[in-house]
Amino acid sequence: MSDLSEELTRPGSDGDQVETCVVSGAGMHFPWLRKHLDSVAAGGKKKKDFAQTTGACLSLAQEALLQQQWPRAAEFMYSYLQTLEDSDSSQRQAAPEIIWKLGSEILFYHPKSNVETFSAFADQMKNIGVLNYLKISLQHALYLIHHGMLEDANRTLSQAETWRYGEKSSSQEILINLVQAYKGLLEYYSWSKKKMELSQLDKDDYAYNTEARNILSHSWKTSVHFSALIKTPGVWDPFVKSYVEMLEFYGDQDGARKVLTNYAYDEKFPSNPNAHIYLYNFLKRAKAPRSELLSVLKILYQIVPSHKLMLEFHLLLRKSEKEEHRKLGLEVLFSLLDFAGCTKSVTAWRCLASYLRQTLMANHLGWVQEEWESRRNWWPTFHFSYFWAKSDWKEDKDLAYEKAFVAGTLLGKGCKYFRYILKQDHQDLRKKIKQMKKSVRRYSIVKPAVD
Amino acid sequence: MDFPSSLRPSLFMTGPLGLSDIPDLSFMCSWRDTLTLPESPPQNCKTAAPHSAKALLWQPAMPGPLPLLPPCPDPWDPGVTAQDLLFRGGFRYRRQPQAVLDVTEQLSRFLWDHGDIAFAPLGKMMLENFRLEGGRNRSKKPVVSAKRLLQDLSGHQPWGCPWAYLSHRLRRFSIVGGPVLGKSVSRLLGGLLHEELATRWERLLLDEAFTGGALAWLPGRTPQVGQLVYPAGGALDRLRFQDVILTSDSEPQVLGDPGCIQLQGPVRQVVTSTVQGETLLAVRSDYHCAVWKVGRQRRPAPLQVLQVEKGATGISLSPHLPGELALCSCSGAICLWTPQNGLQQVYKDPETLVFRDPSPWRWADFTAHPRVLTVGDRTGVKMIDTQGPPGCGLLLFRAGAEASCQKGERVLLTQYLGQSGPKSLPPTLHLICTQFSLYLVDERLPLVPMLKWNHDLPSPALLAHLLPLASPGAPQPLFLGGLGGQVRLLHITGKEASAPQLAGPPQSVPSPADSLSAFPLLEPKSQKQLLERLEAPTIGLASAFPPCASTPAVWLFQLSAAGDIFYQHLTLQTASSLHQDAGPPSDPEPDCPVPRTTAPPVDQRPIPSWTTGATACCSRWLEALLQVPSAPPVWAAPTFSHRRLLGRLKHQEVEGKVLQGLRAAMVGGRLLQQKDLGLLPPAELPPAPEPGPQDELSERLEEAWEGLATAWWRKQQGKAPEPGKQARRPKRRTQLSSTFSSLTSCLDLPDTASPPPTLEQIPTEARLVTPYSQESAEQLWVRGVHSERQQTLRDYMAKLPLPKSTPAPEHVAMPSSQASCVQATPSRLPTPGSQPQRKRPRMGF
Repeated sequence: MSDLSEELTRPGSDGDQVETCVVSGAGMHFPWLRKHLDSVAAGGKKKKDFAQTTGACLSLAQEALLQQQWPRAAEFMYSYLQTLEDSDSSQRQAAPEIIWKLGSEILFYHPKSNVETFSAFADQMKNIGVLNYLKISLQHALYLIHHGMLEDANRTLSQAETWRYGEKSSSQEILINLVQAYKGLLEYYSWSKKKMELSQLDKDDYAYNTEARNILSHSWKTSVHFSALIKTPGVWDPFVKSYVEMLEFYGDQDGARKVLTNYAYDEKFPSNPNAHIYLYNFLKRAKAPRSELLSVLKILYQIVPSHKLMLEFHLLLRKSEKEEHRKLGLEVLFSLLDFAGCTKSVTAWRCLASYLRQTLMANHLGWVQEEWESRRNWWPTFHFSYFWAKSDWKEDKDLAYEKAFVAGTLLGKGCKYFRYILKQDHQDLRKKIKQMKKSVRRYSIVKPAVD
Repeated sequence: MDFPSSLRPSLFMTGPLGLSDIPDLSFMCSWRDTLTLPESPPQNCKTAAPHSAKALLWQPAMPGPLPLLPPCPDPWDPGVTAQDLLFRGGFRYRRQPQAVLDVTEQLSRFLWDHGDIAFAPLGKMMLENFRLEGGRNRSKKPVVSAKRLLQDLSGHQPWGCPWAYLSHRLRRFSIVGGPVLGKSVSRLLGGLLHEELATRWERLLLDEAFTGGALAWLPGRTPQVGQLVYPAGGALDRLRFQDVILTSDSEPQVLGDPGCIQLQGPVRQVVTSTVQGETLLAVRSDYHCAVWKVGRQRRPAPLQVLQVEKGATGISLSPHLPGELALCSCSGAICLWTPQNGLQQVYKDPETLVFRDPSPWRWADFTAHPRVLTVGDRTGVKMIDTQGPPGCGLLLFRAGAEASCQKGERVLLTQYLGQSGPKSLPPTLHLICTQFSLYLVDERLPLVPMLKWNHDLPSPALLAHLLPLASPGAPQPLFLGGLGGQVRLLHITGKEASAPQLAGPPQSVPSPADSLSAFPLLEPKSQKQLLERLEAPTIGLASAFPPCASTPAVWLFQLSAAGDIFYQHLTLQTASSLHQDAGPPSDPEPDCPVPRTTAPPVDQRPIPSWTTGATACCSRWLEALLQVPSAPPVWAAPTFSHRRLLGRLKHQEVEGKVLQGLRAAMVGGRLLQQKDLGLLPPAELPPAPEPGPQDELSERLEEAWEGLATAWWRKQQGKAPEPGKQARRPKRRTQLSSTFSSLTSCLDLPDTASPPPTLEQIPTEARLVTPYSQESAEQLWVRGVHSERQQTLRDYMAKLPLPKSTPAPEHVAMPSSQASCVQATPSRLPTPGSQPQRKRPRMGF
C-alpha cells in the first residue's frame, strides 16, 4: 500500500519529460504536442476503444461546460464516469481529480442541482482514491459556507480534521492546518454573532452571564485553530484578521501584536501590503507612539507607494519635527502622484499644493528641485498637458485648480495647464484663481526669464 | 489607490516548478474563484442567495464567425506540418509517443530531388584533382577517368529510376571510391538539415512571432465607426486600414476600399493606443518597428521607423504618455522609445530571469507607474525602474512554486491590463499566460497571483484582449485567444477594494473552423482548401464595443494567417441559473447594476443558427476563394533523365491557341476543357457508353426482371472468359479513341493535315490532361516523341509540383508514371487515370 501511495503522490509521469526533451531540448511542455503526434502516428499503438470513448466524453463535457450547457455536460459526465474502471492505471489515477473538477462545476451551475445533490456528490468523491479527501472536503465546506450553511460546513471540516492517511506528509499537514483554519473562521463567525447579540443584551439580564461565558469558552479553541496555519508562509488575510480581532477582544494585546508582526515581517512570507496595513491599524487602535506608526508606514511606503494610507503617512510626517521626515513627506506625495490610478485624487493634489507652498515658504527649494529633477521630463506630459487641463476643468474644477497651482509652481507661468485654467472665467473660483496667480508668481521654482 | 482589504487565502512556497510536495490549492475549479469568504459573519444565512453565481453569458449571434472581407487574392500555403517533419510510426511499445525528427527521410528526399546540388560540387572537385592511375611499372593510362565518369552521370540521375543504365565504369568506381567519398558531404548535409528541421519543428510547436496579435481596432469619432488595421497580402507585408461601420443588429458594413501601406517585411504585431486624445499605431516586423500617428481624418502619418538588428520580439505603447513605446529584442535588450528623443536602453540581460531557458523571446510592457516597465521572458516577469540603477528590479511573476506552476510551464504572454476607467479593475493588474494557465498578478503584491485559471487551450495562447466596462460595476470581459483560433472569454470583476475574481463560468467563443457548416458542401479538393483556410492560425484578435446599444454587445474580429478577417457578434445575457426555484434571487448590490435583460434560463436559450444572409455571405466568399489559385509549388523535382533526353533536342516553336490554352490549364492545374480553347464550335457529344456486353449487371437485371435469370447465368458460364475479355478491350479502345477524335477533329492544328486524325496524331496535350489517355500514351512513347510534344512536356514537367506525402491530385501524379515507363515495360499504377485497365467486378454473388 505504501508503494502505491508513493506512486500516487508523484504527479506527472516520467514519460512526459522524455517526450518533450528529445526534440525541443528546452524542457518546455507543449500540451498540443500530442495532437501533432497523433496526426503523424500511422504505425503507433492505437488507443483502445474504451480510451477513445472516455476521451471523447471528456472533451465533449468540457466543451459543453465552456458553452454553459450544463445539462448536456452532465450527460457526458455521466458517461465519462466509466473511466474509473480503466485498465490503464495512470488514467484511472488522474480520473478522480478531473471528475471532481468538472462534476463540481456542473453541479454548481446546473439549474436543477441543489445543495443536497452537491453534498452527495462530494461525499462520494472524497472516498475515491485517498489523496483527494482533504481537498474535496475543503471545497465542499467552502461551497456550504457560500450557501450560508455554516453548521454543515463545520461538520464537514470536523470530519476532515480527524482524517488521517498513512504517514503524515507535509502536504497533508498543511491541508489539515488549512482545514482547521477554516474551522476557526467558522467559529469566529458564530463568536462575532454572539458578541453582537451580547451587545444588544442588558448587562443585568440573566442571560448575559451565560452568553458571556459562552464567548469566553471560544477563545482557546480558535487560537489553536489559527495559530498552526499562520506560521506557514502564505496569504492568510481573513484568518489573521479574525484571529487578531478575537485576541484583542480578550485583551491579549501582546499576542495580537506578535501575530501581526510575524505576519508582516517574516521574510518567508510574501510582501503582502495587507499585513502592514493590519499592523498599522492595530497600532493606531492601540494608541502606539508616532515613531512606531511611522516605521510601519515607511515599510508600506516602500512596498506600495500608491496606497491611500500614504496620505496619512504624509500628514504624520508633516507634523514631525525632524527635518528629514518633512523632506520625506514631500517625496511621499510626489511618488503617490506618479501612479496612474492616483492622478485624479483631489486630496493628494491639495496636499501637494499646500505642502509645496509650505516647503517653499520655509526656504527648502532644494527639496522640491530634487524631487522635480527625476520628473521634469515626464510629469508635464503626464499631468500638465493641455488635454488634461481641458478635461480636468470640465470634470472637476477643484482638481483643476489644485493642479494648476502645482503646475505653475513647478513649471512656471508659461505652463499650458496653468495658462488654460487662468483663462477660464469662473465666478466662484475667480477670487481663488487670482490668489493662485499671485502665489505662483511668488513661489514658482522656475525663475521667469528676464523680459 | 486602495488595496483589497482581504485577499483570498493562498499558500506561498518558494521553489522550482512542479514541486510535487505542495498541496496545490489551485486544485480549484472555476467556481471556486467565484466564491468569496464573507468578511463578517453572514447575518441572514438562509436567504442570502449567492449573487455571484449568476450565469453570465455572451451569446454569439451565429454558430460561428463569418468572413468580413472577400478572401485575399494571394494564394496561401499552410506550410509544413508535423507529418512532413516527424518520423512515422515506430513507437508502438511506448506509452508516451515520442517526437522524432525524420532526418533520414528528408535527407533521402533531398538527395533524390536535389542530387545535382548534393553531389555536383564533389564531382567538380574530382574533375580537377582526381586521377586514379596505374602503378609505376605499368602504363600511365588512367584506370578511371573522372571526366568520363561525370560524362556518364551528367544531366541525369541514374538513381532516379531503377531501370536506368549504369555503366560498368560507374559501378566499379562506386565500389572503389564509395567509402572515401560518400561520407563527408552527407555528414555535413545531414547536420545542416537536422538543424533546419529542428527549427521548423520548434516553430510548428510554438510560433512566437505573432505574440500580441497583428490586428487592431481604431475607434472612430462615433462608437459605431472604426477602422481595422491588419496586414494583408501573401507575405503579410501590406498594412491595411479598413473602415467598418458597426450596426446594432446585422452584420458590420465595410466602407470603401482599404487604405494601404506597403512595408518591407511581414507584419507581426500591430498595437494601437489612444492617450490624451492622441491615437498612435505601432507595428512590429521581424527586424523593423514603426510608429504612426493617426490624425483626425484617420490618416496615419509616419513618425519614425527603427531597425532592430537582432530581431524585435515585442512592442507596446504606453497607456500613460503619448508617443512612448517599449521595445524588446532577441538580444535581451529593452528600450524605451519616443519618436522625439529616440531610443533609451533601460535594461539588458541576455540571460533569462529565473532559470536558464534557451528561448530568446522577450517581452516588455508598461505598469501603473509610467517610469516602471515589466520585462518578461519564458521564465518570469520582472518590474524595472527605468530611472533607477540598471540591473535591479523586482520579480513580478516567477515560473515556480510561488504560482504553483507545473513542470515545463513557461510564460507565453504578458500584458498590462491598465488604462481602464474608474469603478473598473485597478490599474495595477497584469495578465500572464502560460501553456496551461492564466494568471492575474497585481504589481503591488508580486509573485502571488490574484487569480489563476486553467485555460486548457489546445494551442499557444498568444492573444489577449480586455474590454472596457459594459456598464459601471459590471464584470469586464477578457478574451484569450489561442493561435489555433480558439477563444475563451472570462468575466472579471474586482473594484479597487476587492481582489479580482471570476464573476461567472468562463465560456468559449466559436472559432472560424466552427463556421464550416455554413458553407455549401464541396468536392473533396475544394473542401480541403476551404478547411485549410478556416483552420489557418489566428494571428490577431480585436474587438469593438459600441457602448450605446440597448443590450451590451461586442464585435469580435479574428485575423487568420491566410489574411482573412472573421467577425462575430456577441450579446450579453444574464440569467440567475442557480436556485431558480429557491425563492426570488436577491437583488444585486446597488452599485452593481448588471444589465438585466429578460434572458431565458440557460438551458432554454435558443441555440444560434445560421441565417440565410450568413450562408449567402459564406457562399459568395467561397466562390471568391475558389477563384484564388492554389499556392505555386516551391520546387518540382525532375524525376527522370528527361532533362538529358529533351535538352539535346532543339526547341521547336509551336504556336497556336491550343497550346496556349493548354499551358494556361497546366499552370492552373485544371482540366483542359473545350471552352478554354475559345473558338471551338460546339463539338458533338462524346458517344454515350453503349450498353455493350460489359454492362453485365443491367443486362442481368433485365433478364431477371423477365424471369430468365437462370438462363442468362448458364449462358454466361458457357462463355469462354478469355476471348470475351479480348473482344471487349478493342471495343473500349475504339470508344476512347472516338471520344478523342470527336474532340480533336475540330482543332485547327498547324501540323495536322487534312486526313482525319488518327490516334497517333492526337496531340499529347489532350492525352495528358485527359485521364483516359494512358493506354494510348504508352504506345506513343514507344514510337518516339514528337517535337512539339517535347516542348509541351518540358513546360509541363517544369510546372510539376513537389511530390508530397499527401496524395497528389491525379492529373499531377499521372505524367510521372508515364515518364518512368519510357525504357521499361509499362507499369500500371492504380491511378484513377488508368481506369480502362481496371477489371470489372466479376459477376456472381
